Amino acid sequence: MRLPGALLSVLILGLPGIGTGLAALHLSGAQAPDFVLKSISGENIRLSEYRGQVVVLSFWAKWCGDCRAQLAGLNEMYSLYREAGFEVIAVSMDRDIDDARETAEAVEVSYPVLFDQGREVSQLYDISSTPMILMIDREGVVREVIEGYRRGTEEEYLDRVRALLRE
Amino acid sequence: MRISLVGILLCAAWVTRLAWGQAAADDESAMPEFTPDQGATANAVMEETAEFRTLDEDIQDLKKLVLDLNRDLFLLEEELLFPANTQVAVFVSMDVGEFFGLDSVSVTLDNKDVANYLYTAREADALLRGGVHQVYLGNMRAGEHELVAIFSGEGSHDRDYRRGATVVFEKGIGPKYIELIISDREQKLQPEFVVKEWE
Repeated sequence: MRLPGALLSVLILGLPGIGTGLAALHLSGAQAPDFVLKSISGENIRLSEYRGQVVVLSFWAKWCGDCRAQLAGLNEMYSLYREAGFEVIAVSMDRDIDDARETAEAVEVSYPVLFDQGREVSQLYDISSTPMILMIDREGVVREVIEGYRRGTEEEYLDRVRALLRE
Repeated sequence: MRISLVGILLCAAWVTRLAWGQAAADDESAMPEFTPDQGATANAVMEETAEFRTLDEDIQDLKKLVLDLNRDLFLLEEELLFPANTQVAVFVSMDVGEFFGLDSVSVTLDNKDVANYLYTAREADALLRGGVHQVYLGNMRAGEHELVAIFSGEGSHDRDYRRGATVVFEKGIGPKYIELIISDREQKLQPEFVVKEWE
């Protein structure tokens, strides 16, 4: 039995986290909701304290394969533009802090990795799939919501970050 | 000897004054003369500058008005949401902090969690510099209430430290302010957590 193409696409697009399930998109153009979370190294990080800097907020989890590649890509961007006022904050949606710590150590991330155990921040940002990144400008406004990750798109990310840094 | 020293100083002052006067006269003579055309242009520029200044002042006045209005609205909103007669506010302050690095404060009122605040390093530093943080603002009816505050952080020798402080307070007709004070007890080399009531 073959499913009609239209029905198949409806089924696929309707699945959470796949295709158009970009729930966080409504935040584009709005002020990024403030939050405070504990980082895997122990200190508390509040988003609003990064006002004045261009921030990439990345939501990820250990079980998501693309997340690891994205974390590594963000690491390179961070080392390149940190001095210019660029910050990366990675929010782990793992249930266990050890999972988050293990991945962060494996990728050797140099930026803060926060642990959203209660999924409060993920809910606040309406995160329906991973990886997902939000680009926040110096005024604290969400400028871009990017879902998923494809290898080789780092240059696109860099262009967007450069444009925000130039503003 | 003293008189001659005073005399020398007076002479030096007189000479300096004479030289200053001469220099000022030289400057005046060196100034160019304005023709009527140049005068008219200068007047136009001055008028334009004055216009801009007035506009800038108007903008500043408007900005001030907006800020004032915003403040009044905030006060009105707070008054409406938390009327003075039922208002309870809990504040956190810190003194010295040698033996305790603040991480978080949880507040329970009558067995109900009302606040749980994580402090960043910057916020903890602001508290150490004399800042006071309003951790909770809410409404409560008059009568007896119990407040439990749990302080988490880092104690001496980098050890995790968790302590609680409880107070039973009487809420009267007016607003109630409660301050959670974290201070050092030098003699015991330990932090001290005090709950203070303000009327």
